[in-house]
Amino acid sequence: MNEILLSNEVIVYLLSETVLYLLLFVAFISTIGLLKKWNFDAFTTEQFALENRSYLVMTIIFFVMLLKVVLLPYFVYTIDNLSNLIPGAMCGAGVIKANEYGNPLLALKIIILFLSGLWLSMNSIDLKEKNYPYLKLKSWFFILLFLLLSVEFLLDILYFTHIETTNPVSCCSVIFGQTGGVNGLPFGLDIPKLLILFYLLFALVVLTTVSELAVMSIVSSLLFGVIAYYAVVYFFGTYIYELPTHLCPFCMLQDHYFYVGYLLWGLLLLGVFLSIDAAIMQSFFKQPAKNLKRVSLLLLSVFVLLCSAYVGVYYFRNGVFL
Amino acid sequence: MMIRIENISKIFNEGTPQAFEALKSINLDVAKGETMILMGVSGSGKSTLLSLIAALDKPSSGKIVVEGELISKLPDLHASAYRAKSIGFIFQHFNLLEALSVEENVIAPLINSGLDIKTVKEMAEKSMQNAAISHKSSQQVKELSGGEKQRCAIARALVHEPELIICDEPTANLDRENSLKFIEILQSLYQRGKTIIVATHDPLFETLPFVGKVVHMEDGNIVGADSISAHN
Repeated sequence: MNEILLSNEVIVYLLSETVLYLLLFVAFISTIGLLKKWNFDAFTTEQFALENRSYLVMTIIFFVMLLKVVLLPYFVYTIDNLSNLIPGAMCGAGVIKANEYGNPLLALKIIILFLSGLWLSMNSIDLKEKNYPYLKLKSWFFILLFLLLSVEFLLDILYFTHIETTNPVSCCSVIFGQTGGVNGLPFGLDIPKLLILFYLLFALVVLTTVSELAVMSIVSSLLFGVIAYYAVVYFFGTYIYELPTHLCPFCMLQDHYFYVGYLLWGLLLLGVFLSIDAAIMQSFFKQPAKNLKRVSLLLLSVFVLLCSAYVGVYYFRNGVFL
Repeated sequence: MMIRIENISKIFNEGTPQAFEALKSINLDVAKGETMILMGVSGSGKSTLLSLIAALDKPSSGKIVVEGELISKLPDLHASAYRAKSIGFIFQHFNLLEALSVEENVIAPLINSGLDIKTVKEMAEKSMQNAAISHKSSQQVKELSGGEKQRCAIARALVHEPELIICDEPTANLDRENSLKFIEILQSLYQRGKTIIVATHDPLFETLPFVGKVVHMEDGNIVGADSISAHN
């Protein structure tokens, strides 16, 4: 059997995913039944049974979605640990590139994380009401999510069963390095422009969040998320590694860098998600979102400060920039 | 109308061979400030009906509306809030915390009310006085007699000034003297405009002057309802 499948982290990860998927499958079947027969205005035995069942089903989904949020950092931790087994891999970057399923899987996991968060918010406002106003909407949303989760589960299996421990993979410096003078940044950006965009977009996120411009807030948060990713990999990361040629989003997850990657990526993902969530809750569901906005701005501010602090501390210590 | 019950049914173990229909298409109205007595032998469905009115359980079908609010469909979170705000329970077995004092038991329903401790203590004192148990406020419940325990339970049920008082076999564990004392307290609640529902098979309740309605239950059905012109 493939050595990868025998590693403790992968066994725990795949077992957890399988159990959660089975729970979701049960919830999926029940949700279809709910959607077919739900009629809140009826006082029949069938409707009362559906209301009781809906509580159970939504609790199962709630529980699974929460665990899925926790499983994302564990997935990252797992692939980072697998770098010890795969020749050529120095961190998760090489492992994720070990086959064609890795990158789509990681991207899908991030999309699912955002959608799961939205489902959790929708569920929370539905539970606050007495007449289940969003039950149908959140059920349809769950069905869409379940389809994505099915693809994710399939990709999980394909990914871990197709990692070869005999084929060497590329390390992060090859994957993210500017080999042959090719610029890895999007939109033809260079580092100064990337940094200007990074800070400008952060200011825009703050402004649109405070001034309650929902659509602008969603767009600017998403853009900031993308630009912040590149800014960390291509600029701030080099100060974390204290090496101008070391461009990698994964190495900072290792103990050598005090696992700061978990903090940075966690702050960014959660901050961007809460900013989008607040805008959606306020504009589409007419819910108060002041606290969500505050937390989102706090997380993103800490993220920006932490990134900037690495540069500042390096300059303060050495008197030069990298 | 304080309470409107339409076609309420309750089936336990539904869809199994042990299915049992505890309530069969019950229709009932209770006016605001009315005292209603549910009479019937054990297993007739009295306690099940009380638990549905109090949103402790959900019916299998039908509608219960209490003061304009649809109780039979309340999600659990809202059902708890409804019970905490609108209902005072008095049980046959008192359901008190034996190791705590009378005052601590009476204060218990107000723990999550957000009120300051001074207000809570004042409310508890007033409630204990209404239930004639304030002289035992610092005594542990396990040291009280049956009648005193019931008065402590009444004080606890009334401390948050609920509009609806629900009593399930309240005198089953009391002697005649304490039962009459309990009825006196019930009458004072009636005079204060509270709506009261008592499930009992104690014949003492049938002829009380302040009772507005006596409903007889048998095998989950209402087999007779007598409306009485209540007076103080």
